[in-house]
Amino acid sequence: MSDSLSLPLRPLIEESDRPDALPVEIAQINAQWGAFRDVNEDSLRAQIEQEKYKDPYADDDDENDEDTSATDVDSAERLDLLYRRRAEITQFALQAHMEAMFALDFVSLLLSKQQPRQAETSMSAFLKQTAPLGSLDAEVVHPPPKPESAAVDTKTVSRGWRLQNFNAGANRLLDAATRLETEVASETRYWNEVLAVKEKGWKVCRLPRDRQALGVQYGFMEATPIFRDRGLAALRRADDGSLMLDKGLAPQRARMVRVRVKSCKGISGCSRVHPSSTNNAESIEDRIFQARDTLYEEELFHELFREARILGNQGVTTRQNLLQVPVSSGQEILLDLVDMDGDPTPDDPEIASTEDDTLANAISHSIHILLAYAHRQNLRRRTQPPPPLVPKRRHTPEYQLLRPVMAYLQHSSHVRWLESFLGDLHQVLKAAGLQFELNASPFSSLRLPTTPSIPAAEALVQTFLIPFESTFSCKLPSAQGSFKVRVRTSAMSPPLGTHFDISVNIPEYPDSQPPNRIGLQEEAAEVLTHFTMLDILSAIAHNSSPSAWTAVYPHHGELMAISPTGQNKKLQVTLSRHEISVRASSARGFEHPAEATDKKPVRSQTWKPNTPTESLSLMDFVAEISKDDS
Amino acid sequence: MHELLLFASVPTHQHHELLRQLAGLTAMQPHHRVERRLVFKAYRKPGVITTRVGASQDVQGADMQRLNKMLNGGMFYTQVVGPVSELAFGAKPSSSRNPDALMSGMGELPPSNENADNSYAYENQPWKLEFRDIPEAGTRSAVTSRLMASSTLPKGDIIESMNAWGYSFVTEYVVEGDIFIHNDIVIFLHRVLHYPTEGQEPNEPRRILPPFETMTPLERTGSYVLQAAITVQDGGNQEMMKTASQHLFGLREQLKSAVRLEQADRLSLDTRAK
Repeated sequence: MSDSLSLPLRPLIEESDRPDALPVEIAQINAQWGAFRDVNEDSLRAQIEQEKYKDPYADDDDENDEDTSATDVDSAERLDLLYRRRAEITQFALQAHMEAMFALDFVSLLLSKQQPRQAETSMSAFLKQTAPLGSLDAEVVHPPPKPESAAVDTKTVSRGWRLQNFNAGANRLLDAATRLETEVASETRYWNEVLAVKEKGWKVCRLPRDRQALGVQYGFMEATPIFRDRGLAALRRADDGSLMLDKGLAPQRARMVRVRVKSCKGISGCSRVHPSSTNNAESIEDRIFQARDTLYEEELFHELFREARILGNQGVTTRQNLLQVPVSSGQEILLDLVDMDGDPTPDDPEIASTEDDTLANAISHSIHILLAYAHRQNLRRRTQPPPPLVPKRRHTPEYQLLRPVMAYLQHSSHVRWLESFLGDLHQVLKAAGLQFELNASPFSSLRLPTTPSIPAAEALVQTFLIPFESTFSCKLPSAQGSFKVRVRTSAMSPPLGTHFDISVNIPEYPDSQPPNRIGLQEEAAEVLTHFTMLDILSAIAHNSSPSAWTAVYPHHGELMAISPTGQNKKLQVTLSRHEISVRASSARGFEHPAEATDKKPVRSQTWKPNTPTESLSLMDFVAEISKDDS
Repeated sequence: MHELLLFASVPTHQHHELLRQLAGLTAMQPHHRVERRLVFKAYRKPGVITTRVGASQDVQGADMQRLNKMLNGGMFYTQVVGPVSELAFGAKPSSSRNPDALMSGMGELPPSNENADNSYAYENQPWKLEFRDIPEAGTRSAVTSRLMASSTLPKGDIIESMNAWGYSFVTEYVVEGDIFIHNDIVIFLHRVLHYPTEGQEPNEPRRILPPFETMTPLERTGSYVLQAAITVQDGGNQEMMKTASQHLFGLREQLKSAVRLEQADRLSLDTRAK
């Protein structure tokens, strides 16, 4: 800039040494102040002081006073004042009109000498009547030559005017130059920032409605239309040229979906609020990120809500800004949309512990991933050839966000229960010296995708959307017996919820089969203990010497040994999750079990886990009783 | 079903640019598509149709009447469309698993892989029957609308079944282009390719496809046709037809600065067999 030619804009002013002669100044003072007698130093100083404190914007002191008094008058007076002022204005206008008409008449009359017809049209009727046309004439009078001094005066005045105009022009130009300079600087800054945003990979485009403005797109193309359209914000220029993200009416606060786990004690876990890495830096990109994240969170919550409404049959309840999802007895998941800056965690009195934080975080991550997956599915659906147009609008199905999470949690809780139950049973049988082999494969339905046709990320999510299945297979004490439990949970398609499919293989009792589909844990436990007990009976019958023990009432756990001497013996086996007991008594013949109870038990023994091992195993105990018999 | 259409001609030099514009408009990548199209002509089988003339007591049911009208009315050309991969052109037929095929391929590649990528099995070619009526006459709307129907056909050799239905093979050609989906509108930017002529035109579909480079465009300059189509389930529903044409007009407005979509000449889309 400094190298370029600089033009002087202001006119050069020659300093003439004493421009005005003394007589001229005296004349000026006389004109301005009157006689010299009235002008003294004090009055001048007073005048200067007065001018200094005068409000430059107030035209007149009187007006000021009037204004202040005007505020005091009441409305009636003000109305009166208003009318009076209006009348004044009208009067002024009328007077002006009249004067203008007089002037018009005068000029018309003057012109009527030369151009009578034309002048006649602009004359008033009164003038036409009173003065005949062409009665006024004008002729050029050569003025006497002006004195030299007058010519000089005119020249000086015009020179002064011109100087003043030059100055004003120069000022204006300089002002414009500085204004342009700041404008250029701020524009440069704005465009640099826009470019920086673009270089980061954001999509910058013109706003569809406001063609003059630039916008940045941070939303998700595949979101629901209301959220997709919100994913565009204008990039406005602040006065200093910095970039502003104008999201319109959308709230500026950052919000997120919070996941809390509520157990019987209270809130036992809360998902972590993602720390916005640069809270205070507030660079434009951070703001875009924040806007995008908030949009995603809001869409997530919207979709969660939409899904929750169809899950009323599974116990999901919705409040104004809260979703309650029951997963297992005593555990509930709460979802709500909270402000990110409001620090919610520490001051929440309900928080009992933080043991389930991991679970809450995992759920939070899962629902985010599932929404991204739903977006991908939307893209897939959108790019398929559409079905023919029909009057009924296509219903967009609810995304699967809560259902997979619920199914997973429900399934894992059931599987854990079954594992512990079978473990207990194992301990009991081990204490009794019986063999019991447990083979568990939880979540056997989950396997890593191998199909190359769809992207790995989508295939991975897909495995979590099909019904969960776990299988447990057990070898029972008698080597031939076994059972297999399939636990299946589906939240997407009926039958909803978890059910147990138990298939039992006990060769002794081929006709005894459990019910097809068991929904309750207690029922499943009962079935499993019952069939294990049956198997123990068959194991006893097998192990003892032939024809020693026969199961007479197998479903009641009763065995009978018939000896040729007539001294029959009865054995009753009871199995529960905590213990197994065997009671032996004597019986005379095939009796009804109720009648046999009054007999004095010969011997009885109970095995429990975690008690010091007894000397005898169950089989030995039975063998001993058999020996007593003879 | 009814189909509403708008067409535009796209010169070769604009093709790439338009592809990008359409990708931006529809927010999706183009699906490249190559289709074999077999043209069949319906012929009247002698002795199939017995219409009773007169016999006014025996009032024919509406269905019967329609069937008779269909059977005795005009005969139409129909197309059988089969999507193929561009790799299938100039490939060896996969059924011929002789050593020659292996020798000619890359020696290092396992044969199964080579077959999957670079072969053409006519026996597994899926087909779709597409019937298009002559566009409706005298519609005041500025779109082409016509009756249409499609249905899938058995895979493989189609001649036999088509003959059995009363269609004879006429000729075949290939359509190559890109598909975009814009809401309900299917945008197909395509051109017609001819097989290289080597003496006698075969009277059945080709079992081996010639190399893709040897295919010649029907339009010598290689220009493309932009076809915007929307299907309506019930052509009798005026409201739906109106909505569909509104959608097409919306697209026409959006593409106004790039191409001029307009109605096609009705007689140029005549499918009647004379």
